[in-house]
Amino acid sequence: MTARSGLIAALVVAALLAFVPWLASPVLVQFGITTLLLATLAQGWNIIGGYTGYASFGNSVFYGLGSYGTAIAMVQWHLPFGIGLVFGVVLAVAFALLLGLPVLRLRGHYFAIATLALAQVMTAIVSNLPIAGRNVGLVLPLLNGDKLFYELALALLVLATLAVFWLSRSRFGFGLIAIRENEDAAASMGINTTLYKVLAFALAGIFSALAGGIHAYWITFIDPVSAFDISLNVKMIIMAVFGGPGSILGPTIGAFVLSAVSEVLSTEVSSIASLFFGAVVIVAVVFMPRGLSDLVRRIRKAGWSYFSENVKAHRL
Amino acid sequence: MHLLLQILANGVLLGGLYALMALGLALVWGVLNIVNLAHGSLIMLGAYSGYYLFTKLGIDPFVALPISMVALFCAGFLIQRNILNLIARAPMFNTLLITFGIDVVLTYLAQMFFSADFRTTNPSYAGDHFNWLGMTLPLVRVLACGIALALTVALWLFLGRTRVGRAIRATAQNLGASRLYGVEPRLIYALTFGLGAALAGAAGDLYGVVSQINPYIGATLTAKSFAIAIIGGLESPLGVVVGGMFLGIVESLTALYVGPTYVDVASFGILVLVLVFRPTGILGATT
Repeated sequence: MTARSGLIAALVVAALLAFVPWLASPVLVQFGITTLLLATLAQGWNIIGGYTGYASFGNSVFYGLGSYGTAIAMVQWHLPFGIGLVFGVVLAVAFALLLGLPVLRLRGHYFAIATLALAQVMTAIVSNLPIAGRNVGLVLPLLNGDKLFYELALALLVLATLAVFWLSRSRFGFGLIAIRENEDAAASMGINTTLYKVLAFALAGIFSALAGGIHAYWITFIDPVSAFDISLNVKMIIMAVFGGPGSILGPTIGAFVLSAVSEVLSTEVSSIASLFFGAVVIVAVVFMPRGLSDLVRRIRKAGWSYFSENVKAHRL
Repeated sequence: MHLLLQILANGVLLGGLYALMALGLALVWGVLNIVNLAHGSLIMLGAYSGYYLFTKLGIDPFVALPISMVALFCAGFLIQRNILNLIARAPMFNTLLITFGIDVVLTYLAQMFFSADFRTTNPSYAGDHFNWLGMTLPLVRVLACGIALALTVALWLFLGRTRVGRAIRATAQNLGASRLYGVEPRLIYALTFGLGAALAGAAGDLYGVVSQINPYIGATLTAKSFAIAIIGGLESPLGVVVGGMFLGIVESLTALYVGPTYVDVASFGILVLVLVFRPTGILGATT
């Protein structure tokens, strides 16, 4: 299956998914909104983590800025939702440009931990800001429209996936992949690595911020701890890696599969679902480090030895 | 002036404990090239081991220290031997992810078995303090700081003077060459990770006495340990002590002069600044 036919199949599935709110129960629609937003976050992480190879542990900052941008615009300035979303995106892009510039100079562990630290700094800063309601948070106007939020979330995921599809065949995307494979070589081939990295960071930020804004208006309440929730980073990374980082549909499929399983598990005990996420990442890194998309492609030929080959390749 | 002196003393006492927290992380990072994101969770487990040994068996937390260390050593040894050795040659990102997964598993196992309530190991002398040069020094913090420094020196001597310590340093310098000299890397890796976990256990046991614990403290403690390791550099345990003291003093000063809610902004802000301007650490080599 080529990338193009895969994308067409995915668009057909998305068109079918658009009818879900008229057919399914309200609970399922709510689960759908959460899953679609998580898939968008995973897709956003895919741009910076999967394609560019910069393991960001700070994408939840974009999500938080999107939430807070929307909430501040709507609550403090009484602006409409659409402008709130734009304001959230502006905040996220500004953050990506201002802090991406110094932080993206770091590589490997250093980048990962610096973004993790930034996520903690942002939580602390926002809980001290009067305009953001300090650590109490903000209450947004109520809008009963799960159908609308569902369609918005679906449209956003389609947009994010199309953007990743574009990345996979554009000069810009090839530049990012070159940076992932060998940054020094990419630079010597004439790629402006700093510009490419910052743009990838900002692009990831746009989608994550939009997801945050939609979520904030849907939930109607945000506070610093939930908006900048670090465990959200956990989820988006695990979903992207489980599905296949650096692939077009992998992160979305990973998000759908893991959300469904974790939803089933959390009806039993809620902490089991989180435990499950941790166990999945351990097993996935050991046995299928290139994710579901690679597994599906290669398992027919290799069979069970696919897993043992992965272990043999990396063990001490 | 008097207040400033007191604040500095608080910072130094806190810093000693911070140094012990970061020591295990720096050891594992320097030798195995693994940034162990589960390090904070191992500290958390050490804290709970101290708490339960005290509340269930009545063992004084300072006496329980070796027990916590042995328990965490075994846990760390098994984690490296059975999980992390499997991906020792994988890209850096995979080791970050897998320790992240271990962190999540440990956190939620702790939530299931220990509940999410705040706990403190609270021996009868917990409130005692004494005065020295006009400063008020809480007894448990002084003891914790002293033990932390003693363990740091012990690690330094162990790495420098013993056969196993030399094998660990040799592995860190050149895995291939150390193999030729008869070092069994799988064992040395597991021993080193176990040692790092044991230090985390000791730090956790002491942390439970001077502060409140819950299953979720791991992430912050990992980030702080990382900050200290970065500031101090990975070359020697003594650098980690300096890093710990530095962070402890900065946090105490921030809490007083800017406000207690800004403590995390200061410590993680410094981390980002150090990373951007001096990624080899304040004391580290300039190259």
